[in-house]
Amino acid sequence: MTADELKSQVLPLLLSGTRREDGEQLRALGTDRERAVLNALSLAGQALRFTPPPSPSEFAVEIWPKDERQIVPERLRPHIFRLLDKCTEDTARALALAIEKQKLRPHPFDLPKLDGFIERYADRLGTTAQYWVQRQTPAQQSRGYFEADELNADNWTESNLRSRAKFLKALRNQDPEAGRKLVQKSWGAENPDSRVQLLSAFQIGLSAEDKPFLESIQKDRAPRVRAIVQRLLAAITGAVEDNPAVAACMERIQKSKTGLLKKRNALKLELPATVKEHEANRWIQEQFADVTIGTLARACEMSEEELVAAAGKDNNLLFALALMATREKRFALLDAISDELPDAWGRMSGLSSDEDFLDDADQLEQWAKALIKPKKWLPEVPFPAWSWLHRQMEGPLPAGIMREILASKEWAEQLDQEKKGPSLEIIQVICALCPRELRGMVRTQLEPLEVERKGKGWMLLEILDELESLT
Amino acid sequence: MAVISLEKIEAIASDQASLVAARKLVKPSSWSGLSSDNAGLIWGECQGSGSSPYRVVASEIDAGYKCTCPSRKFPCKHSLALMWMRAERKVSFESAESPQWVQDWVRRRRSGSDVSASAEAQPKSLVQATTDGPEEIDPKVEARAAAARDRSRRERETAILAGLDDLDRWLIDQTEGGLAGFAGHAGKSCRSIAQRLVDAKAPGLASRLDLLPSRILSLPEHLRATVAVEQLGQLHLLAEAYRRQESLDLDLCADVRREVGWTQARESLLGEDGALCISGSWRVVGIVSEVQPDRLRRLETWLWREGATDAPHVAVLLDFVPIASGQTRGPYRTGERMEATLVYYRFARPLRALIKETSNPAHECSASLELSKDGLAGAIAEYENALTRVPWINMWPMKFSEARVRRNSERLFLCSANDAGVALPLLMSQASTVTPLLAMEKIDGFGLWDGYSFRLCFAQTLLGRWVSE
Repeated sequence: MTADELKSQVLPLLLSGTRREDGEQLRALGTDRERAVLNALSLAGQALRFTPPPSPSEFAVEIWPKDERQIVPERLRPHIFRLLDKCTEDTARALALAIEKQKLRPHPFDLPKLDGFIERYADRLGTTAQYWVQRQTPAQQSRGYFEADELNADNWTESNLRSRAKFLKALRNQDPEAGRKLVQKSWGAENPDSRVQLLSAFQIGLSAEDKPFLESIQKDRAPRVRAIVQRLLAAITGAVEDNPAVAACMERIQKSKTGLLKKRNALKLELPATVKEHEANRWIQEQFADVTIGTLARACEMSEEELVAAAGKDNNLLFALALMATREKRFALLDAISDELPDAWGRMSGLSSDEDFLDDADQLEQWAKALIKPKKWLPEVPFPAWSWLHRQMEGPLPAGIMREILASKEWAEQLDQEKKGPSLEIIQVICALCPRELRGMVRTQLEPLEVERKGKGWMLLEILDELESLT
Repeated sequence: MAVISLEKIEAIASDQASLVAARKLVKPSSWSGLSSDNAGLIWGECQGSGSSPYRVVASEIDAGYKCTCPSRKFPCKHSLALMWMRAERKVSFESAESPQWVQDWVRRRRSGSDVSASAEAQPKSLVQATTDGPEEIDPKVEARAAAARDRSRRERETAILAGLDDLDRWLIDQTEGGLAGFAGHAGKSCRSIAQRLVDAKAPGLASRLDLLPSRILSLPEHLRATVAVEQLGQLHLLAEAYRRQESLDLDLCADVRREVGWTQARESLLGEDGALCISGSWRVVGIVSEVQPDRLRRLETWLWREGATDAPHVAVLLDFVPIASGQTRGPYRTGERMEATLVYYRFARPLRALIKETSNPAHECSASLELSKDGLAGAIAEYENALTRVPWINMWPMKFSEARVRRNSERLFLCSANDAGVALPLLMSQASTVTPLLAMEKIDGFGLWDGYSFRLCFAQTLLGRWVSE
């Protein structure tokens, strides 16, 4: 019997069961029935082993994106694995930001092993990483893979939301009309999250020319979109009465006069009785979300500087002003506010929603300088506030601020060996926030700590040094 | 004598936390009796949280280690710290003869070093010579023991033959009922016959049967019935070959006996005259770590002999560790190179080996490896050739060049880059790690083929080395 005969005649018998057959074909394979069955089994099995596995008639065409970025140096690959093993989110973010800044990308072979990291920071790690994250996404839901600086009016709808919002803000800065036309064109296909993000970019270069478009979307299905539209329209017309949010805020602000020799205006924000202390920051954020400093000052019949001075004794109102100044990029005003309310950034960090206040590196630096005053205040329950700061900064703090933090009494107390010492998390976030020129200082300060505690932060500094030394 | 490197310590550490913990012990004040025999062994005692200090020993040659601490990490921080101190050379190790507990460890472990040989070569003192003299052996006692061994052996042979008859009856039952639906009840029926074969002292066959259900169920449904035919057919072939050992050549006979469950002790192989010994430069080309049904983890280290013109080119070192120990990795890493003499177990196609002597311990090597000029078609032909000689081969090492990974639906295949003839389905559990290779036009590499799925272990690409670990 040949191998083909075994496969065509004997195999079907074995599969269906030899009991049902009279054994005509088996008889040739053995003297008795049992022997014949066993021989049939081993011979057919062996014949099958020489049959090559079926080859698919066609294969998928793989179109991996072209990634112009350099791969991270070979020597850093194992260190990156070790760093990302059980590190904090701040450490992972700092690494992703450094890789993005140096225009590097992870080694393609490391993508499966760093899946979680790649998933979270794909848009910072190059087009290959973006492709990797979307490899199992159905074609109709997947986006394109672009470097943020490769976006243009033709492909901008293909990228992720963060890059698109960034692109639109840059475009609005240069040519507000072009930006508006792009949004108008894609508006119908955008989901609510995209509509909110894209519409927020209209604050840049807002003018009367945007009015027809904004009026056309006043009845959007998403309440968040409607609220932004209303705010923008109010800002265009400049009329307080057009903005019900200002009126709602004014109902909560009490005006009075203080001082003995010279009477000064004083403003006080009355929180509703139903708002508990821990809910105050959140309530203020929502209440003042659609109000600008200018409109509020006009409603209070005073200048913006007078408004800040009048709110000087009321921390809640100052906090509201700090939020507004941040949103409007009024850094000089923010500086004055944070002089009166040094823990404004600590309160901002406690807000549950992660609003990206700013996305331009220069503006972030100005914002940090205006807001963070380590000599006046450092957070008492530090880690979440520091972590929030790193999220906002998307990189290290300005050297001046960091130097003040490292020289502060609070930080020195944290490092005190007699006490509990800084946590793993705080060490990592401080290392992530540390600018290059101060890494030596941080290392010196961390030196006496146990290896277990400082290990990850130390490793992050080493890797950042190596990445930044690449040309 | 090459000392262990910090890179090697980093590589064998199970995680960063182990290294951090070990770092704290890298100081002489935590240790007593730090010593070395200057032949590759270092040892010392480290005061831990227990009342008595932990005894730690390590081999510089193959990074083997043993510590008496109860840690579930392998290597533990004490072993890492001992090696670390040696690698840094900042702490002095006293030259000394290895104490009894170190010698016991050396005896128990697989020989990865020439430690025992060097120990024997050292001159002994008169006092030792007096006390170490050969013990008087009573010829009657010896004869009784030999007779007992012989009786036990005969009894086992009889039990195995009876077990093989049971196996045949079971195979007939399965075949009479039809193998199309075998996968559906394979778990229960394989377990029962496997237990009978364990009772019949044929653990090799029992292990094959225990693994069979999971092996079949790991394959696509349309293949399961024919794979059952193949696998059950092999069992009968083995049973039949065992009954006819006298008609087989010595190599094949040894192969059959090992498959059935007879084992050869390490010492016996190392002392066997005429055992195949191969010296050369070996590269680690694959690491496989798998849990077996008997709650042991099987650690395979596949080695490739560089620049070899004659067979065998490949060897596999096997280690078994209890799952409960938590150890998931052996001492080697893919890509490492070592100069060593390997002694092969007797096989019709020699594969499994032991390290007899190491002249240069395993160390990281970034040089590319000249694996094969053959494409996948050549590798398949070699596999079929081996199958002709040893029909019950389960796993066969394959080296290949100029291949590429391609996708069809959810499955990945290793295909010839130049012709469309060969496409080996890759192990489904490797789908994620192998996916980046889809972007590579051509790869050379090494893997293991079981007839149904290809386990890619190592690949050389334009972007550097890909390893499955």
